[in-house]
Amino acid sequence: MKVKIAILMAVLALVSLVCAADPARKSENASLAVPVAQSSAEADAMRVHGEQRYRANCGRCHAAPQKFPPRMMATIVRHMRVRATITDEDMRLVLFYMTQ
Amino acid sequence: MDRIVRNFEKKPWRTCSHAACLFILSCLLPTFLKAQAPDQVPELERPVPILTGNAGFFTNINGGETELVPSINPVILLPLGDRWLVESRGEFKGEFERRDGSGPYGGKVEQEVDYLQVDYIANKYVTVTAGRFLTPFGIYNERLYPIWIRSLQPTPLIFPLGTGSSDGAMLRGGFSINPKVNLNYATYFSTLSTMNKFESDRTAGGRVGFFLPGPRIEAGFSWQKELQDERSNAFGFHFAWQPTPLPLNLRSEYARSHDGSGYWIEAAYRLSQVPFWQKALRRTEVVGRAQQLFAGQISLADAAEYGLPDVNTRQGDFGLNYYIREGLKMAASYSRRFNSDGNVNLWTVGIAYRFAFPLGRVGPQ
Repeated sequence: MKVKIAILMAVLALVSLVCAADPARKSENASLAVPVAQSSAEADAMRVHGEQRYRANCGRCHAAPQKFPPRMMATIVRHMRVRATITDEDMRLVLFYMTQ
Repeated sequence: MDRIVRNFEKKPWRTCSHAACLFILSCLLPTFLKAQAPDQVPELERPVPILTGNAGFFTNINGGETELVPSINPVILLPLGDRWLVESRGEFKGEFERRDGSGPYGGKVEQEVDYLQVDYIANKYVTVTAGRFLTPFGIYNERLYPIWIRSLQPTPLIFPLGTGSSDGAMLRGGFSINPKVNLNYATYFSTLSTMNKFESDRTAGGRVGFFLPGPRIEAGFSWQKELQDERSNAFGFHFAWQPTPLPLNLRSEYARSHDGSGYWIEAAYRLSQVPFWQKALRRTEVVGRAQQLFAGQISLADAAEYGLPDVNTRQGDFGLNYYIREGLKMAASYSRRFNSDGNVNLWTVGIAYRFAFPLGRVGPQ
């Protein structure tokens, strides 16, 4: 039972940290959406990087999946970020490549 | 109030834990409600709930005995706000055999909840997961298990070691150490549960891995401490490499636990670079796997329950996959198993399909 209490306290500490960090998260929120390119050259570069990250990360486990509509891709990439511990930057570039 | 005081005097830990639970829930509620609020993501890019998963039908011939194995693994993905994800996977798997070698096929349909978890992406370094989740031990259990992904349909001999599902909480994430190296990690605590479909052992463990995106090399280490029964330890290593100039996928795992130890090494080669019959060969993949298991201190009943051989076993596997179209493949494999119970041939042939449907409006593609 002591262990359970310790775990609950750890979770509590974690929640407190998350809540405490809340005000600083506004700029981070945008990173969870599809990134926006400022120019067509930047978009091309992001697409190339996105394809590289996609092949390096997704190809570790499975063959190339088809492109889904952006709203589906946003869910799938979030799922894969957790499942395959993909980095935040890789996730954003893969999402850009798969949706733009 | 008197009752609470009396309870506290009798079982102070229980009252404390209830109070702590209530406090945590009250802390989580504002965050959860905030997740429901409209965010800054444009409507057309906002994640939509999805029903995905795979279905398959395989015929196995194990030492001359035929078994029909239809299966379906539905996965529900429910994104909430821009940081939360509720995800679940079930498994419905039939194992039908002829009784006494003749007559109609009969058997049971296994139903499992592989995971039912809530993920909170706290920041780019940490994702908090709670609920029932796939135990992060090695790479096969979390990433290679679905039948549309796995290159060979028979699971590795060591697959039951350290894997399965856990009920508890987990911290995980992946981030770049420098442009050439990504670090990923998962650490968890699982509680003992005997609840039907949610069984788990009381364990703690984790996994650390390094991924080099340039040469596409991944290596990592897993460990697990059992906090019940024998309080045994388990550990393992994994390695994967996808050389850039070749359509080749090399993977391997090693695991050691109280129940046994062993390894598997697998190579899958897509024939897309063969200069003839390209139309067919670019969709074809050949696979080979070598594996060995050294039986541990495990009873016959436990070995049967976990699907582990109870004697030292060596096995060679050869497979052929044909990708009919995206998400649909035919697979066949032959394995030869060597152990003191008698050498046997294992054949598998069948089809696997991956599906994905939105559970809401998705707009134009």
